[in-house]
Amino acid sequence: MTTTALQVVPARRRGAAAARTRHALGRILGVIARSIGIFVPVFLVATFVTFALRSLSGLSPARIQLGENATPEAIQRVEAQWGLDKPFLAQYGDWFTGVLHGELGVSWVNGADISTLIGLGLGVSLSVATFALVIGVVVGFALGTLAALRRTTWIDRAITGFVTVISVMPPFVVGIVLVAVLAVGLDVFPSAGYLPAEQGIGPWLAHITLPALALSCDVIADVARQLRTGLVAAHSENYVTGAVVRGLSPRRIFFGHILRNGLGPTLATLGLKFPALVGASVVTEWIFGLQGFGRFANDSAQAGDVPAVQGVLVVSIVLVVSFNLIVNLVLARVTPASQRGV
Amino acid sequence: MTLLSQHTAPEQTRTVATAGPSAPPVLAVRDVRISDRVTEREIVRGVSFELTPGKAVGIVGESGSGKTLTCRAALGILPPHFEVTGGSVEIDGTDIATLTPPQWAALRGSTISAVFQDPASYLNPSIRVGAQIAEVVRVKKGLKRREARHRAVELLRAVRLSDPELVYGQYTYELSGGMLQRVLIAAAIAADPRALIADEATTALDVTVQAEILDLLAELRERSGLALVVVSHDLAVVAHLCDEVLVMRQGEVVEHGPTRAVLYDPQHEYTRLLIAEHDQYGLEKFLTPKEAS
Repeated sequence: MTTTALQVVPARRRGAAAARTRHALGRILGVIARSIGIFVPVFLVATFVTFALRSLSGLSPARIQLGENATPEAIQRVEAQWGLDKPFLAQYGDWFTGVLHGELGVSWVNGADISTLIGLGLGVSLSVATFALVIGVVVGFALGTLAALRRTTWIDRAITGFVTVISVMPPFVVGIVLVAVLAVGLDVFPSAGYLPAEQGIGPWLAHITLPALALSCDVIADVARQLRTGLVAAHSENYVTGAVVRGLSPRRIFFGHILRNGLGPTLATLGLKFPALVGASVVTEWIFGLQGFGRFANDSAQAGDVPAVQGVLVVSIVLVVSFNLIVNLVLARVTPASQRGV
Repeated sequence: MTLLSQHTAPEQTRTVATAGPSAPPVLAVRDVRISDRVTEREIVRGVSFELTPGKAVGIVGESGSGKTLTCRAALGILPPHFEVTGGSVEIDGTDIATLTPPQWAALRGSTISAVFQDPASYLNPSIRVGAQIAEVVRVKKGLKRREARHRAVELLRAVRLSDPELVYGQYTYELSGGMLQRVLIAAAIAADPRALIADEATTALDVTVQAEILDLLAELRERSGLALVVVSHDLAVVAHLCDEVLVMRQGEVVEHGPTRAVLYDPQHEYTRLLIAEHDQYGLEKFLTPKEAS
């Protein structure tokens, strides 16, 4: 009896360990498959709509290059040069193949390679947006956590008041105030311009701090509010009582149990914040004189440079969908129950 | 031993047959009164009982009778704006009114612990159930990560879960109610408490699973001398496990005594009603005549 039991137990344990590994592997593969399943259709539909915009807008490179008084023959010649005389789906096929290879085409206005132009602007914008996101998350987390821990006290109310004020201030107002006070008045930061990180981390940070601060207000407000609400709600859950009864310390319960479950709405909000940051960068880049992605998008749209606008949209789609996927993956890791749609 | 409040008639008072005067009580509740500070109403009006090691005390009564509040007071987890306004609770000889938060944390889990109705909600939905048991072992017993994991699997086996290794890595939403109650019990006894409060622990479970959980509690009591407080609205559950029963109604203890005495010779009309309803609505009524004929 005892010998068989001794033999059975290790065999069973190995089996269980193997089953656990398979389980974990299956989970990861499932998550990857689902991510691809979301990314591919969204990308296809979004790029198709993006491409259809040219036909819908009726814009033509011939108008830009030849002006208003061009003859129909000349227009036809130029359009044929750009391949616009082909059937719509064939045009889409050519363009989409290029996109898959990272080639976004050539500008109608100056014939420059759009991928290169976007690459230049993206470095600036991503630096600013990422820094704004970091400031927003760190400050928002601190404020939200403090308000939740001291809920219904004057600290909670003061934080809620502050957060409400900064949430209604648009980035361009904050930007102008920051330039006036910190750059012109106190001369702490440069008021405009950009230096790449390769030329020194210090100057790079100095140039992106003010635009990042201007953009971060909204993120701070949303993170702080969502986190406060999430933490207060999680605090009154039964599993907190369960953890208390098991004799765990308040600190451990907060960081190990409450924070983990209260984080869900905050993470979901962050997923929405990133596209908003890319959008808001158009205005801040004007104020701070940055040649970024947003400014490039704006200039291209005003010039009627359709391939450049399409390129901007494709890059935005990739950025936004990727960021949302990352947020979803983190969310699935932090709160596994969210994965099965409860 | 005056066990009842002044509101109950003296002829209903019973003296409890004390199991042994030698062992000091793990949990002593003395004339505890609990009030709602907002409405200024007294919800629990004088509850007293003593729990010596290895003993089991049952509390029965309808919902709203103050059973759960009494237990929560003993655990120091009264809901907001409820407070103990009279009497005292002693855990292992220490009055809980004098405890600081760190002392409370040290006492909970390792001296007194609890399981509740709706076990799924008392476990964290985002953490594997095994890891939650291992956390208790790590914090309260100072075990290393690997040892704690091993101990958690042992505990899951001790509460008679058939595949403890598998259950260790599962989340609450992947387990059934009966399995979750076993997991909750495993987490509650992980730091070897001396008293366990089971507040309606079997209420939401179906009858066969309920019987299994009751057997498990009886086994734990026998094996490790765990003292039990069993709270239920079901007299059968309490009769199954306890030496001593308190019958509560509207915040008062209407009857208190050894289980057999309360069951066979109920003094208060509410206790008689409870027993009569069991006779009237229990399954026995349908089974006995058939067997007789």
